[in-house]
Amino acid sequence: MRETGNLADFEDVILPHLNAAYNLARWLLRRDEDAQDVVHDSFLRAHRYFASFEGGDGRAWLLGIVRNTCMTFLRKKRSFEPLPEFSGQREKSENGSPDPERALLLKENIASLRHCIEALPPEYREVIIMRELEELSYKEIGSVAGVALGTVMSRLNRARKRLEECVANASKGVAQ
Amino acid sequence: MTCDSVRDMLGAYMDGELDANAEFQLRTHLAECPDCPEAYRRLRFLKDGIRETNLYYAAPKELEASIRTSLGTAKKNEHAAGIGFRQWMAIAASVLVALSIGMGLYVFRRGTTSELVAQQVVSSHVRAMIGTHLIDVPSSDQHTVKPWFNGKLDYSPPVRDLKNEGFALVGGRVDYLNDRRVAALVYERRKHVINVFVWPTTRKAQATKLETLNGYNVVRWADAGMAFWVTSDLNAKELQQFAALLRR
Repeated sequence: MRETGNLADFEDVILPHLNAAYNLARWLLRRDEDAQDVVHDSFLRAHRYFASFEGGDGRAWLLGIVRNTCMTFLRKKRSFEPLPEFSGQREKSENGSPDPERALLLKENIASLRHCIEALPPEYREVIIMRELEELSYKEIGSVAGVALGTVMSRLNRARKRLEECVANASKGVAQ
Repeated sequence: MTCDSVRDMLGAYMDGELDANAEFQLRTHLAECPDCPEAYRRLRFLKDGIRETNLYYAAPKELEASIRTSLGTAKKNEHAAGIGFRQWMAIAASVLVALSIGMGLYVFRRGTTSELVAQQVVSSHVRAMIGTHLIDVPSSDQHTVKPWFNGKLDYSPPVRDLKNEGFALVGGRVDYLNDRRVAALVYERRKHVINVFVWPTTRKAQATKLETLNGYNVVRWADAGMAFWVTSDLNAKELQQFAALLRR
């Protein structure tokens, strides 16, 4: 059994995942200050509960704490601010028809991809971030989000479907 | 498999999250269905777009500093002693090492397309061997096998029988790997099955390379805009001889 609050172990096993923690929080909360607060808070919690960490992947364990702290934060913050109006350039493909492939290739549409991910509900957004940016397995995602494998799969499916539509619409110049 | 059920599984297929049996069924469907490969291509494109766009938010420097300060305080409160300079240096070093290992892995995972293809080539070979889907067009006649691919692929793979050289053509099938539909030609040498995968490439020509993966030999090269990946449990020497004959 690990000694409670063993700082050296904590530094080795948990602190290296600071970027992963911040990235998830930043995407879930959409604001830098909020993300920093929540990550800071999460690390203190992680340190406090470090004795309950049973080894294995420190990143998934930490992300579970970050994720729950984010969701609590979002629930408390009922006065949910509306999304900022999308101001990214809307590229039309040369022939004017929707062409998501070409659209994605265009640098200008980086703005729309970012916007489209931000526009997803948090439950969809987090699975995309964990899968595509952190490259977590479905099993790890399930343990972080506290849902079954099948739920991870169906949320990812729906998230990807929405993203495809959103990016295609942005490239057509249609406001969401 | 119906297209609807395939569509539900395409994402998991792309993420390598299906079990071997489901993956095999899905690949078989992708090799035959006129519509699903396009849906898969779109999914793949979205995934690559997300990964290639710089969407990652790295933690600001001041956040790390503030967490370290808080943790240092926590430690002080517990043990009534601060962390010495040497310990800080050790911590900083271990974080640096962890970060650089992390980055190294990241580069590694991204950088080895040919390894991924080799892996797919071998698993496709293995699946074809243990499954029932080794050959769609059983024929030792190259003039039967080559036209069979018409309308099933958007290119025409070169097909040659090498029976007189000791490598008998036994047939062909359409397979799905490297995110596309490909021609698979099947040869036999003393009961050893050889799978030859052929698809168009932007490379004009590439020298023959040999590698071994999970006990299978893999030989690859490119000629006249076609990539060739050959795999078998046949010994390396004879497989290279076979490759040389095909390249002739």
